[in-house]
Amino acid sequence: MAVGLTLIFGVMRVVNFAHGDMMVWGMYVTFLLASRAGVDPYVAFGAAAAALFVLGLVVQRGLVDRVLDAPHEMQILLMLGVALILENTALLAFGPEPTRARSTLAAATIWLGPVFVDVARLIAFGVALALTAALWLFLFRTELGRLMRATADNTFGALVIGTDVRRVYAVAFGVGAACVGAAGALVAPILPWEPATGLSLSVASFNIVIIGGMGSLLGAFVGGLLVSVAESLGAVFLQPSLKELASFSLLILILLFRPAGLFGNGRDG
Amino acid sequence: MPNGAGSRLVSGHPPIAPASRPALQYLALAAVLVLLALPAVLTSYAVTVFILIFFYAFLGQAWNVVGGYAGQLSMGHAAFVGVGGYTAAMLSSELHLTPWLGMLVGGALAAVLGAVIGYLGFRFGLRGFYFVLLTVAFAEVCRILVSNIDALGGAIGLYITFTGDPRQFQFQDARAYYYVALALMLLATGVVALLERRRFGIYLGAIREDEGACEALGVDTFKYKMLAMIVSSFLTGVGGTFYAFYLFSLQPNSMFGIPLSVEIIIRPIVGGAGTLLGPILGSFILTPLGELSRLSLGHGGYHGLHLVAYGVLLVAVVLFLPQGAYPYLARVLRRRDA
Amino acid sequence: MALTRLSRRMFLNTTATGAALGFAPRALRAQPATFKLGVIHPVTGPLAEPGQACRLGAQMAADAINAAGGIKSLGGMKLELLLGDTQTKPDLGRLEAERVVNQGARMLMGSFDSGSTAAMVSVAQQKRVPFLVDIAAADPITANVAKAVKDGQQKVQYVYRNFPTGSSFGRLAVRYFNEIFAAARVAPRRVVLMYTNDLFGQNQSKGFIAAHKAASPSWEIVEVIPWSEPPSDLSTEVSRAKAAKPDVIAPITRPASAQLLLPEIRKQRVEVMGIVGPGSPGLYEAGQLAALKDDLEYVMDNVPSWPNFKKARTQAVAEEYRKRSGGKTFDTNSVASYDGMLTIADVLERAGREALADPDGPEAIVEAMKKTNVKDILAVAAGPVVFNEIGDNPNASTAMIQILGQKPVVVWPRDAAVQKFVFPRPKV
Repeated sequence: MAVGLTLIFGVMRVVNFAHGDMMVWGMYVTFLLASRAGVDPYVAFGAAAAALFVLGLVVQRGLVDRVLDAPHEMQILLMLGVALILENTALLAFGPEPTRARSTLAAATIWLGPVFVDVARLIAFGVALALTAALWLFLFRTELGRLMRATADNTFGALVIGTDVRRVYAVAFGVGAACVGAAGALVAPILPWEPATGLSLSVASFNIVIIGGMGSLLGAFVGGLLVSVAESLGAVFLQPSLKELASFSLLILILLFRPAGLFGNGRDG
Repeated sequence: MPNGAGSRLVSGHPPIAPASRPALQYLALAAVLVLLALPAVLTSYAVTVFILIFFYAFLGQAWNVVGGYAGQLSMGHAAFVGVGGYTAAMLSSELHLTPWLGMLVGGALAAVLGAVIGYLGFRFGLRGFYFVLLTVAFAEVCRILVSNIDALGGAIGLYITFTGDPRQFQFQDARAYYYVALALMLLATGVVALLERRRFGIYLGAIREDEGACEALGVDTFKYKMLAMIVSSFLTGVGGTFYAFYLFSLQPNSMFGIPLSVEIIIRPIVGGAGTLLGPILGSFILTPLGELSRLSLGHGGYHGLHLVAYGVLLVAVVLFLPQGAYPYLARVLRRRDA
Repeated sequence: MALTRLSRRMFLNTTATGAALGFAPRALRAQPATFKLGVIHPVTGPLAEPGQACRLGAQMAADAINAAGGIKSLGGMKLELLLGDTQTKPDLGRLEAERVVNQGARMLMGSFDSGSTAAMVSVAQQKRVPFLVDIAAADPITANVAKAVKDGQQKVQYVYRNFPTGSSFGRLAVRYFNEIFAAARVAPRRVVLMYTNDLFGQNQSKGFIAAHKAASPSWEIVEVIPWSEPPSDLSTEVSRAKAAKPDVIAPITRPASAQLLLPEIRKQRVEVMGIVGPGSPGLYEAGQLAALKDDLEYVMDNVPSWPNFKKARTQAVAEEYRKRSGGKTFDTNSVASYDGMLTIADVLERAGREALADPDGPEAIVEAMKKTNVKDILAVAAGPVVFNEIGDNPNASTAMIQILGQKPVVVWPRDAAVQKFVFPRPKV
């Protein structure tokens, strides 16, 4: 899901505080399909991605598009408003109880001697890898992807060569949101959530994106790994309730010494 | 931010017409007199609403110095509220120091934290979103640390005994809090008004619009940003004492958490960041509307509907008043004059 | 003064608008048709789930009291609830309390999270509004008020609580652990305490550790593992617990973290005699059972104010609750608020007309509150509802429940037990 954020920020430089809440909606879509239609979460992730793609398009075309020139703080305010709407619509629609999508696959574990591997996490990891690869192909091997990268590098230049920048933005936001939806579907069997979970998901994904590097797909991916390693080490060597301290400290260090992230390019992004 | 910064230049605030200054001053004076007299006719509920309006306008004004005028978007201002509040509460319970003094100590400690964050952020040249994240990260670090320090009450927090003793910053009559909050708001606004007219304020505005150009002209941007951060965090820290001794408990989640940081920033943004009256106007708009939406939509089992309405309101502000309410109002008034 | 009189005349005719704007003149309170009381819980935000349960419990109790003829000593006056939402924000707790008091509430009940409750306490003490805390765990909430009264800084204590404090919670947990181990004729030695490091979790775990130290039983707490809420992953925490070779895992969770913890314990194949919570939400709710299914089977939990299903009335209320909530279980939170409302009705019956007197009504209610002795409540308790000098109910008790056949049932203390416990749990 950090991949989604990195795409949105990379192209549009819009800070998306509604990110976590969009992910929560991806989880609810998965949950609905699983509980009402009996679709396994790992099959439902396409639908979740499609639904979020549409949501992303609507938010972009209807709202973000109009404030791209507004001051930074207005963009933050907009996304805070969207987050509030998404969270509380979920509360109205699904109630406050924590939810979890059940999958027969997710319950399984593979034991290799004393070490065990969680199948759900393995699948999530594998699909995330595949998604990142697909996005990379999209950005580097298709015409639209090239335009998107061009817009990210130099909006003015892209305009000069006749790019429909608004369309590029819309696609970027939609694809970013779709990634978020897919991520939501993948973690729905692992991570229980409730309508108020969005905020902590947003913060977590910011961490990952910054640590890996804004606008870098590989960075977002590696950032995700680094954060979880740092937190595990924190839980082992400090106290588990201090483990987020490890990731936030890592974040501060990276912000200071390599603000573009480990894989970003350029100093002030 | 190679291109994003360019578009920001275009969107600078229109200068407020100097012609309306005297009129504005009379208006402000009249408003203050009305506010001073108001508790005589208000119910305690309305008094409470006003207390929250003043208090969040105060915090918003404090944020406005660094977030609005200097354009350094901090989303970790809750950390200063927390440091200020915890300091005053601990000094009061452990050393029996009156919160009236503790509030200054708390402000000073918050300013130290502000200086640290500012030094790191500005020295290392973090801008825009990166600065936002740095401040969020610091506030979260504070929150997690305090949650794990038993001496500070840990996650359970500190609870202040209600005595109603003014020496302990407590009042049997809630209207006293009204005047304290009003004084805080006016104080912060006075400080900002003074700064705004000096070179300091002009430089901050210039930094906000184009930092690179400022540096090229030889302005010590680092110094002015640091000063803005210190003033801002000191005032916010002072607010922490009010928060603690008005609500009688301190918990890491409510005092250092992101939700409080969000509360602090939305009012000045809605009102118009970087304008003197923006935070006050924003607070006078958002707090009552939030209350109204809760009163009208908060019942009948549709839990959350009023917050959806509040979210729609924020989105509408962004769409229809993209500079904030105050610049819009000023433009309308000026057109009327002309 | 002139202004005040003017405003009264101006707004007398437009009470509705006046109330909405906050200009409700006091003169309007003269002839109340109902007894208004403020019921404030976090029905949105991070604690919306228990907050909504509390609100519904309170509403059902008030409906039942009204249907049975209202408060008889007040001529059958009906209870009217003025509902409030704190969103778990202390400033809103204070604001909502002021609002309902302005709308005529003569008593307050609430409010689940200790921060908002502490803010409401100041309103109760400032405006002389008797306040019954139905749920809030932090000990200082009542103790601080009692202290201020003792030191002469406040005249009257308006705040009372019908909920076990952190310390009594811990004492009962350790006692039940000992009794159950003895009754099962087993001697577990190593207990690992795992808790969510939020207000409730830290409060409970401190109470549990302190009570364990005081009782020095034959089992040890060999490892204490806190995590911060909400966790995104608990695999490291569980491996750490497993490395401590526990006989019993004692978790204090929130519903969301329980959904992470229990599957993780199963996946990592931690062999234990049992999972026994010293006091934890998330281990028994209907939604949790639907999500966790077998992972919850045989899990035990020491819960405050659990409905006593040995009473026919409790069963009837639970059935009605299921209908009105759309299938949820009548449990800790809903019964606490239900009993809170029953207690308030009892207090009012005894205070009678005095409760409405101006200006001494609040003190009359407090006097009746102090003499409270309510036996007919729905929760498992060590005795009737009474309030001690601190304002707490020493009889507020806990019950050990166990999930058996996918249903939470009381298994301890023996006189409230509906079924025999299963401990150690069968090996998989």
